[in-house]
Amino acid sequence: MGIGLRAGRSMATRQYHQGALRVIRPHYLDDSGQVTYVIVNPGGGYLGGDRYVIDIDVDEGASLLLTTQSATKVYRTPNGHAQQDTNIRLGAGAVLEYLPDQLIAYRESTYRQRNTVHMHSDATLVMAEVVTPGWSPDGARFRFDEIRLRTDVYIDGRLEVLDHVLIRPGATEVEDMTFLGAETHVASLLVVDRRVNQELVRRLHGLLKPLDPRGLMGISLLKCPGFALRAQGGSTEELNRIISTVVGALRQGWNGQGPIDLRKGEPGAHRRPAEDKGGKGP
Amino acid sequence: MTSSASYLLPLLQLSDSALPTGAFSHSFGLESYLERALVHDEATFGVWVGQFLHQQLTYSDGMAVRLAATAGDRRQVRDLDLRMAAQALPRQIRAAGATMGARMLQIAGLVVPCQSLEEYRQDVSDGECLGHPAIAFGLAGRQLGVPLPEMLGTYLFSTVTSLTQNAIRAIPIGQNAGQRVLRASHPEIASAVERIIRLDPEDLGITAPALEIAQMRHEYQRARMFMS
Repeated sequence: MGIGLRAGRSMATRQYHQGALRVIRPHYLDDSGQVTYVIVNPGGGYLGGDRYVIDIDVDEGASLLLTTQSATKVYRTPNGHAQQDTNIRLGAGAVLEYLPDQLIAYRESTYRQRNTVHMHSDATLVMAEVVTPGWSPDGARFRFDEIRLRTDVYIDGRLEVLDHVLIRPGATEVEDMTFLGAETHVASLLVVDRRVNQELVRRLHGLLKPLDPRGLMGISLLKCPGFALRAQGGSTEELNRIISTVVGALRQGWNGQGPIDLRKGEPGAHRRPAEDKGGKGP
Repeated sequence: MTSSASYLLPLLQLSDSALPTGAFSHSFGLESYLERALVHDEATFGVWVGQFLHQQLTYSDGMAVRLAATAGDRRQVRDLDLRMAAQALPRQIRAAGATMGARMLQIAGLVVPCQSLEEYRQDVSDGECLGHPAIAFGLAGRQLGVPLPEMLGTYLFSTVTSLTQNAIRAIPIGQNAGQRVLRASHPEIASAVERIIRLDPEDLGITAPALEIAQMRHEYQRARMFMS
């Protein structure tokens, strides 16, 4: 999908989908002009051999908040791995906040995700990810075969961030003290924006301290203006709290926007449907 | 008369743990594990260093030595340097790579003067590249004609040796305990070398989350002995 700016409001200027993934009607959470889209998978989850491609272009000055309706579930993949490739282009001054729900890989599944971002040095990227220990009928953790999550961020054509996580419970000891230790969930948050500096990272570190009593979170300045945050924990909720605290602080500090309140599954008080002037509705 | 391979002495010189690259001032996250008392003696250090070897050291430095040693041209070395800098998300790990890379480049240029090292040194001083010791070592090893398995084994053992010396000072453990850890690392290094040779080049930079978090947290640790 392509998001452009029309009279101060961001909206889909081109939209196309085929296959299992859909987006539901755009809405506006506040008066900033940022448009929100929610990706849904009516099939419920990914199957072996499935390949999903998501292309997102956010044009100059436009702003998109992209999320999902529910957790990404990857079912057993006996017929080859499931794959999702997300290709993102951000123009000058464009904003993308990509905050999907957690990933749940089922027993005997293999999932590969590749995010490739090409952004202008004046654009803003905020991208989060939470990985759970998955699901199996007997409740045992880490019964999936493999999860591979890779993100490459290019700024003005030059590679600046390469984040590559591979969890292969059969081969790597997930409980190694250098891997996950006693924890079960891992979260990543990548923020690339020219306003990020060491002072901001230090402030965010202080802000997060009360949410991280066990010392399982790290935040560090990237090679480009931006930071990476990685956190471990025992539940999706505690990691989502860390992510939403940071995202909320950035939205407030940079745009005067309030925290994100999607009220998934029910119409929220300030959830205002768009007039749908742009592309055809899904 | 039998003689040793012509690369033996230069390789020993470049892998000497006393090589002044500044390795003695980097713990690569170990110091965070010491603070949390997850590493506190010979046994726990031996476990930590084995995990470090098979995870981050394999996917970053090990792969970088291999890819530098097999790089076709200057452009590929630049691309490798860019990927090594981009995959090092913790700031102190990038800084360690740049500082030690600059020193290794200087020393390797003295020991094995050659065009590829000179080009890399130039790219680092121009800011085109950040610099990394594993890349400089791989270029030097290729120039010397060191077979890849020996080159990798030497680099990995040299890194494990530096970390062990740091652990001897910081935990502290005895010198003999350190030597036992090093001896126990031999088969681990051999299996890491085998894996590195077989890995897909796209696997460069695969991270170990808890280690990476420890490396990020080190920035905020009080009373540090090490710069990473």
